[in-house]
Amino acid sequence: MKELIEFIAKSLVGHPDQVEVREYGNGDHIRLELSVAKEDMGRVIGKSGKVANSIRTLLRVAAEREGRQATLDVIEPE
Amino acid sequence: MTERTTLEIIAPTVEEALAQGLAQLGLPAEAVSVEVLDAGNKGLFGLGGRQVRVRLTVNVPGEEPAKPAAPASKREKEAAPVSKAEPVGKPEPIKKIEPAKRADSPSVPDGHDPVLDKTEAIISKLLFHMGMQAQVSAHYGEAREDRRPIMVDIRGGDLGVLIGRRGETLNAFQYVASLMVGKETNQFAQLIVDVEGHRDRRERQLRQLARRMAEQVTKSGRKLTLEPMPAAERRIIHMELRDHPAVTTQSTGDEPHRKVTILPKE
Repeated sequence: MKELIEFIAKSLVGHPDQVEVREYGNGDHIRLELSVAKEDMGRVIGKSGKVANSIRTLLRVAAEREGRQATLDVIEPE
Repeated sequence: MTERTTLEIIAPTVEEALAQGLAQLGLPAEAVSVEVLDAGNKGLFGLGGRQVRVRLTVNVPGEEPAKPAAPASKREKEAAPVSKAEPVGKPEPIKKIEPAKRADSPSVPDGHDPVLDKTEAIISKLLFHMGMQAQVSAHYGEAREDRRPIMVDIRGGDLGVLIGRRGETLNAFQYVASLMVGKETNQFAQLIVDVEGHRDRRERQLRQLARRMAEQVTKSGRKLTLEPMPAAERRIIHMELRDHPAVTTQSTGDEPHRKVTILPKE
């Protein structure tokens, strides 16, 4: 899961070195938190969230293959 | 003051759903408008067929419930056995394929186009990270409006999940992959990703649906709204009915719920 999000995010942004994915929870439900450089936020979220929602769709498929559920939040860089 | 009433019906065909709904409401066909929420399918990937889902909206406020319009509807039902007329590709036997190309080491024959190579590599990796094994091949499609789309073919067993309901997952996959390839190659990339010939099948289905619904509109003289579709699929409907003598089409609503409405020509 984590690798999938990392792979996608790093391919989309201008600063791949600042891509960070944290994974919370284990078992059936995991939550992923993606943070990218401020100027890359638009690239991973997209117009009205279209990119982020498409990534979530792919994440859901990947999680289902392992019999799990996964959610993705894109968070502002600190 | 009569409230707007809606009723959702699930049945094997649109005609049957309409007949059932009208019988339940006790209204003649002219008193309702019809919206096809789900055109159904015959269950391609072992998921079992889906029935048709139709929403009827009572659009004549204040009209007293009349006698059911059953006779007319029954005739329609017999006249147009929709599900039988639909030649959706026969459920394909899931082929066992030889172990897919290793995703992290795509074998690249010499003399390949670098953009196509990168496309194949990115998509193979993406599939690998999604836990899927498949074979990926890319080639250029026919140029349309000055752009050459990159056609990507994904083959392998058990890829139904990558298509998803009405191809929604495949569209998300295609969108993300296009952005990734575009970024990697520093140019706008339009990818058209297909899984096991799904898009061709879907296109045939949509053309058939368009003709069937146009016939229905011609017969009844009332407009009909189809389920929400992405732009490429709406385009197929518009093109199919462009030269139809008795109906016109238009898209209404906002993405991602934009729908095609088929209207009788004035």
